Amino acid sequence: MEDDEPSHEGFATETLDPALQKKHHDMLERLSARHQSLKSDSHDSSFSSSTLDSTSSFLSRFADSKRSVESRIAESRLASSSSADSSKVKSDLSDISLAIDNLEKLLAENSYFLPSYEVRSSLKAVSDLKQSLEILSGELIPKKKFSFKSKSSSRKPESKPAEIQKLNVISPPKLPVRDSPGFRNKHGETLVKSFKGSSIGEFTLSDLDSCQVKLMGTVNALFLHRLRNCSVYTGPVIGSILIDDVEDCVLVLASHQIRIHCARKSDFYLRVRSRPIVEDCNGVRFAPYCLDYEGIEEDLKTAGLEEETGNWANVDDFLWLRAVQSPNWSVLPEEDRVSSVSISGDGDY
Amino acid sequence: MGLLSIIRKIKKKEKEMRILMVGLDNSGKTTIVLKINGEDTSVISPTLGFNIKTISYQKYTLNIWDVGGQKTIRSYWRNYFEQTDGLIWVVDSSDLRRLDDCKMELDNLLKEERLAGSSLLILANKQDIQGALTPEEIGKVLNLESMDKSRHWKIVGCSAYTGEGLLEGFDWLVQDIASRIYMLD
Repeated sequence: MEDDEPSHEGFATETLDPALQKKHHDMLERLSARHQSLKSDSHDSSFSSSTLDSTSSFLSRFADSKRSVESRIAESRLASSSSADSSKVKSDLSDISLAIDNLEKLLAENSYFLPSYEVRSSLKAVSDLKQSLEILSGELIPKKKFSFKSKSSSRKPESKPAEIQKLNVISPPKLPVRDSPGFRNKHGETLVKSFKGSSIGEFTLSDLDSCQVKLMGTVNALFLHRLRNCSVYTGPVIGSILIDDVEDCVLVLASHQIRIHCARKSDFYLRVRSRPIVEDCNGVRFAPYCLDYEGIEEDLKTAGLEEETGNWANVDDFLWLRAVQSPNWSVLPEEDRVSSVSISGDGDY
Repeated sequence: MGLLSIIRKIKKKEKEMRILMVGLDNSGKTTIVLKINGEDTSVISPTLGFNIKTISYQKYTLNIWDVGGQKTIRSYWRNYFEQTDGLIWVVDSSDLRRLDDCKMELDNLLKEERLAGSSLLILANKQDIQGALTPEEIGKVLNLESMDKSRHWKIVGCSAYTGEGLLEGFDWLVQDIASRIYMLD
């Protein structure tokens, strides 16, 4: 650097004013000072700490340490065959193990500047040393001492079945069985129920075949499940109606919300505050609500359903998200609709 | 770690919480959201898709994702799992027949790794209906006690119709999330 300086200065005098020139000079001095200090630093560190500065010096030091560990392993093997002092063997082995650890540490500390090939081969050397130490200790120390290893390897496969068992314990829950009010498992009957003055909140119609069902008064929730060839006439439902699996039925319903799942070949006469939905349905037709019984006006008012909303025709098909009409449902042609249905509470309660 | 701390910082600044609301169809999810936001609940159609509602709650901003529960669209729930701070599982306590469906869907949901860190509020809705199961009974059916110990959860009975119980549930959820994300600052 010093050799270059005169030419630099000569060049600078031509182009730079004296202030800049001074600056330039100062900078060069600082640089050279820094270079010197770096040089001496790295010189020191190669002696004082394990951080080395060049690949070759690392390699030679690594090779030395490696050889010394190898020779100590060999020595221990020889020594043990003559003397059977187990405590000495043990301390020798732990010393060797420590030396291998140091070697590994040396490699880790210097890996940042080593070519990747050297890192890999050095890692391999370390793991080879570890392995030969393991073999040696397996030979020298009685098997009983080694129970730790066999234990840990046998514990691993054990832990998995335990997890699976735990899952199995969780999976079978016992449901508390409580039947809600409703009509269930009937065939060919006329079923009548009035909710007037009752405290019934939810009502279920389930597993009915060829039945006529008349429900009067208001209820909070209505569930219809597995109906075949039935006629269902209900007063207004304040909450929602959930229908699942009906076939060949005529249903006259009024509610805040109506959800229809798995219905086939059925006609729905609805009054709904929101849009009715169908899912997995086929051949279902819709028409406006047409029920009459004594006091129905009051019940409709209670449920907020006194006005026709026109929503009976605003059906959303969850399996038909296109703009064109879903093939799964249609509006029931007026000539096919039943005229107003009148029911009364003359049946059995 | 870096990304997580950045997300935390951003959320801390905005005091935002992302809440995912799921459950079977007809359980009352949309009604709950509208009720807690003080909106009219008299006309609500079954949710085809999802609704997002941003509401101010205490000093936080809640982004509530109310995702439809119909069978056909349950498979899309997974699209909403990312970055969920709080999970609300809504149960129709009067729908006894589908409680096993309800349990199965909840179990599937809780297996989801992306929801592992979120607080879980179970709302046993429709308590106003005579004959509905109590929150304790629902808890037993859903076998909540056997849930992973690391999960923060609570079950609260409520009625979206009357509004009862909703604030109790949301208070717990927001406090629980706040204590995790904002360390109760």
